[in-house]
Amino acid sequence: MESFLSLTVTQRDQILVEQQVFNMYKAFYDMPPSSQSFMLELQRENHLEYLTKGLRQLGPSFCVLDANRPWMCYWILHSIALMDEFVDPELEDNTIDFLSRCQDPNGGYGGGPGQMPHLATTYAAVNSLVTLGGDKAFSSINREKQYMFLLRMKDPSGGFRMHEAGEIDVRACYTAISVASLLNILDDDLVQNVGNYILSCQTYEGGIAGEPGSEAHGGYTFCGLATMILINEVDRLDLSSLIDWVVFRQGVEGGFQGRTNKLVDGCYSFWQGGVFALLKRLHSTKGEQPIPLGDGEDSGAESSQSTASLDAAGEKGLDEDLSQGGSHSEQGDQDDASCRVNIDNIDHSSGTRHAKVEPLFNSLALQQYILLCSQELNGGLRDKPSKSRDHYHTCYCLSGLSVCQRSWSEDEDSPPLPRSVLGPYSNLLEPIHPLYNLVLDRYQEAHEFFTRSKDPVL
Amino acid sequence: MHGRPRKAPKPEDEAASAAKAQKLRALQTQFFSYHHNKIYTKEAVELSAKLLEINPESYTAWNYRKLAVEHHLSQPECDPDSAKSILDDELRVVESALRQNFKSYGAWHHRKWVISKGHSSIDNELRLLDKFQKADSRNFHAWNYRRFVAESMNRSEQDELKYTEDMIYTNFSNYSAWHNRSVLLSTLLEKKAEGFLSKEKVLPEEYEFIHQAIFTDPDDQSGWFYHLWLLDQTVKADSPLLISSWPAHGSDVQLVDRCHNDSAFSPFTTLHSDSGSFPVVLYFNQPVEGVSSSTVTVESEFNKSEDLVWNPLSVSNSQAAKVWVTHLKFPTSELHCPVEVSVGHSKGITSTRGFQYSFSSVFSFKVHVQPTKKDSSQGSVAESILWREENFKAYGTQSEESIPILSFDQLSIRNDPEPTVSDWRVEALSKEIECFRELLSLMDCKIGKLTLARLLMAYDSMSLSCTNKLDHSDEVLELYSDLMKLDPSHHQCYKDGHSLVLLKQVTSSRESLLKYCSKYTDSVPLTICSPICLRLNNLSLSRVGAFEKLLWVQMLDLSHNELQSIEGLEALQLLSSLSLRNNKLRSFTALDPLRKLKSLRVLDISYNHIGEHSIDTTRYLCASPLSHLVGSEWNKDETVIGDVALINYWDAFLIFKELNLKQLDIMGSAIADEKFKSVLVKIMPTLKQLDGERLG
Repeated sequence: MESFLSLTVTQRDQILVEQQVFNMYKAFYDMPPSSQSFMLELQRENHLEYLTKGLRQLGPSFCVLDANRPWMCYWILHSIALMDEFVDPELEDNTIDFLSRCQDPNGGYGGGPGQMPHLATTYAAVNSLVTLGGDKAFSSINREKQYMFLLRMKDPSGGFRMHEAGEIDVRACYTAISVASLLNILDDDLVQNVGNYILSCQTYEGGIAGEPGSEAHGGYTFCGLATMILINEVDRLDLSSLIDWVVFRQGVEGGFQGRTNKLVDGCYSFWQGGVFALLKRLHSTKGEQPIPLGDGEDSGAESSQSTASLDAAGEKGLDEDLSQGGSHSEQGDQDDASCRVNIDNIDHSSGTRHAKVEPLFNSLALQQYILLCSQELNGGLRDKPSKSRDHYHTCYCLSGLSVCQRSWSEDEDSPPLPRSVLGPYSNLLEPIHPLYNLVLDRYQEAHEFFTRSKDPVL
Repeated sequence: MHGRPRKAPKPEDEAASAAKAQKLRALQTQFFSYHHNKIYTKEAVELSAKLLEINPESYTAWNYRKLAVEHHLSQPECDPDSAKSILDDELRVVESALRQNFKSYGAWHHRKWVISKGHSSIDNELRLLDKFQKADSRNFHAWNYRRFVAESMNRSEQDELKYTEDMIYTNFSNYSAWHNRSVLLSTLLEKKAEGFLSKEKVLPEEYEFIHQAIFTDPDDQSGWFYHLWLLDQTVKADSPLLISSWPAHGSDVQLVDRCHNDSAFSPFTTLHSDSGSFPVVLYFNQPVEGVSSSTVTVESEFNKSEDLVWNPLSVSNSQAAKVWVTHLKFPTSELHCPVEVSVGHSKGITSTRGFQYSFSSVFSFKVHVQPTKKDSSQGSVAESILWREENFKAYGTQSEESIPILSFDQLSIRNDPEPTVSDWRVEALSKEIECFRELLSLMDCKIGKLTLARLLMAYDSMSLSCTNKLDHSDEVLELYSDLMKLDPSHHQCYKDGHSLVLLKQVTSSRESLLKYCSKYTDSVPLTICSPICLRLNNLSLSRVGAFEKLLWVQMLDLSHNELQSIEGLEALQLLSSLSLRNNKLRSFTALDPLRKLKSLRVLDISYNHIGEHSIDTTRYLCASPLSHLVGSEWNKDETVIGDVALINYWDAFLIFKELNLKQLDIMGSAIADEKFKSVLVKIMPTLKQLDGERLG
């Protein structure tokens, strides 16, 4: 009879990645504190340079992304916005003009001028314009035609097609609903039966698959969950099994895998981390918080650190080491004092107190993975140490980092405690709106603009 | 500043790349001109292939090719042979695009489109798939395509099952293969294909198979997930079942409009009703739809079955619920009348997965109505309930005759014909239990312990009907306690499990339940009839459950626990007094289930965490006045009470405006200031007492 090999290819690859990552961590912990704090620093200037260069001109190796040019805009602009930077007015103008040329006369944005409209690039284009901000960017979007385009992409089954005669999947549902919601053109016709389609994609594992019958996947789980929240049907999902699934996707490396038994990848810092951000908001509004909160009611960030340990066995050292990590721990101590002052001055009725929320994942371990393993010191972020940087990973690693830094805060308006930000406090990125993955104040500006806009359907 | 010098690209590379980009740009311009002018000549079509070879993601080019194919197929001279050659060409283009990027959505989708035109051979597709799946065994595009090919070309599920087996033997960590196995087996079992007639034969073999993987390496994730699926397949009942009701089968329900102490009936089944009606509650083992007067008949002298309206008890506005309720009207004159309820005699009750309710059940009870004589004098009558220790007397110490035997023994309903618990399930579970005990004796393994705990609970609830006893709950409680220590990061998860098992244990028999019953000895307000209080206080519960055994409860003490949610509590339709004092409830929205409890009069939510955490409603679509879920309930005229803007208290407003409370305790929460209290008094005109103070 056949029997199982004791070491599978998957396991071998996993061991290789683990070794590589742990070697990096070991090297990090062997460094003197000054080098450690440098290693944990977000290389803002270099990232900015890498990103801006990408927006101005891309090398020829980007040919394969030719059908995804609005995506390039979004990945780059959003990354820049996360660092609270702006592009210069000329570049901004050019980008708006370029995206206008991608807009189809009958609604929707294509992957480039002349290409047919596509939901994913529409999402990317709209998010880019929102990120740029300003009336010129907002009013360049033809909302009436946009609505007609979305309606054309709607399949009778309830799902959406990516483009005319294109595939139907959860991505398409998310991008359509997200755009409609942002532009304030979401109505019952668009919403109809989308929930049923998403439900048919939740697997017994708990996560959500790209299409019915497929296996649960980080990106689709984010898309499916966000869609269900946007259409107000999130209660129909089996949320407890979804949480079960997603908490087990964080591995010993600190980063997330996208699917059961796959390798860690920096971009899931957002796709899986964003799921936690959505769940956190969901529970803080529903008044439930399903997991952690050790036993000590007064557990500040300190004990959160020790309770939110890594899921897999055998990695004890990591969180202990983390709390000792160079400059971080010094700042933590300073903060302790300010924190105490804060608690003494609580005004209970106004709720200004620093809210205590325990993240359902190990936020510091993920930040460590992003900063030490995904970050290229000379700019850009990547999947894992053996891979090279790209704009996609830069965007989603940074988005994930922003989510992590605020994983203890319940309120995005007040800055997080220094100890929830790994590395120097200057690493702090702008908060995002997790449903759209837009920088929060850029979202708010757009939200106000489109709320004022007239209903285009009337 | 901290940057290291960047490696400058070699000039000759740059030149080559620039030339490539130049070429692409030229191709593209030409392509768009063909596309926009609908030119489908051989030359034009070939150009699109070149473009796709460089960039397989160019979805516009794929669509152009679809148009071109349609154009050529519709030509009068197109015969089956040339159609086949046109389609084969397409497959070749897709293949070379996939070689460039086998994660290309557009390419895989185009291939599906071509295959659906017919003319292609399944062997070719399988060969191609084998090649791609060998190179990347986790590629989900390939697996999706494989499922598509197998389905559209009628390849048997058995053959595909064999393929997953081969993939698993090559690499048992390949979860995609395990996943596809679960999909295929579900289909085969559903179809009752040959060799897959019953789970009885299939599942034990699958357990054997998965043990090999789990025992080879207990740290590998894939096996455990598949095991979870198997366990689910083993225990889940397909068709919904009625598992309990109120009133219970065989019980005598006494309905009174005022309370008196000289009742001949058990306080467990005496119910106060001044509305002239009482609830009938059906509790199913899973959420069902379609409970109505046509699927449930209620026979009695005083009600017409067809007039009854059945309502689902769920906090979301869904039409499916585990618990359904209707209200029977009864006359004011003296009455002793039998009532018979039959469920599922005609079709229509279905589970959310589409399974029919297939076991029709009947239960009956007697209703006694005894109007009080106007002149009957009452003893001392209190205004309120005081949740003080000295006011409760443990029920176990009472004399034997006052213990209501009937209502407890009949808590669970006999279904007719009774579904037999298949021996194979029990057997499979006990084998698994043995197996994992062995694994745990060899090594300490978190997921092994968790699986054992789940197996033991499944075993107990399955063998429950025979022995009526939980055999392993102590062991399971110990496993969860172990896990809390072993794996503190998932402490809360295990604690929830622990709480639910504990409640199962408490409610498992009349004897154990009685240990938690107390008699409220102080005088009670007129509206509270049964002095029996179920006291589940100080059990460090983080969740509540086992509601199917608690439908009779009118007074419930859950104080001094660690509850953050009271999900499911809406099932207790008789509840009139509830203490949630000293828990960890964080907001009023956590009290949502209370909105469904129309008989609730006394509520203690003091010393919780309400108001400590700010709730974000402006930027988020949640159940708030801003979302359409509750939009209709939110009356714009009610936005200001006195000088207080209600919008600040919308969550409290949505809960309390639906309650008819007489007594409320809310002190010790951040939100409970004078301003808020004044709002509460206005929202609830029925309120007589707030935080121990009588209201004028």
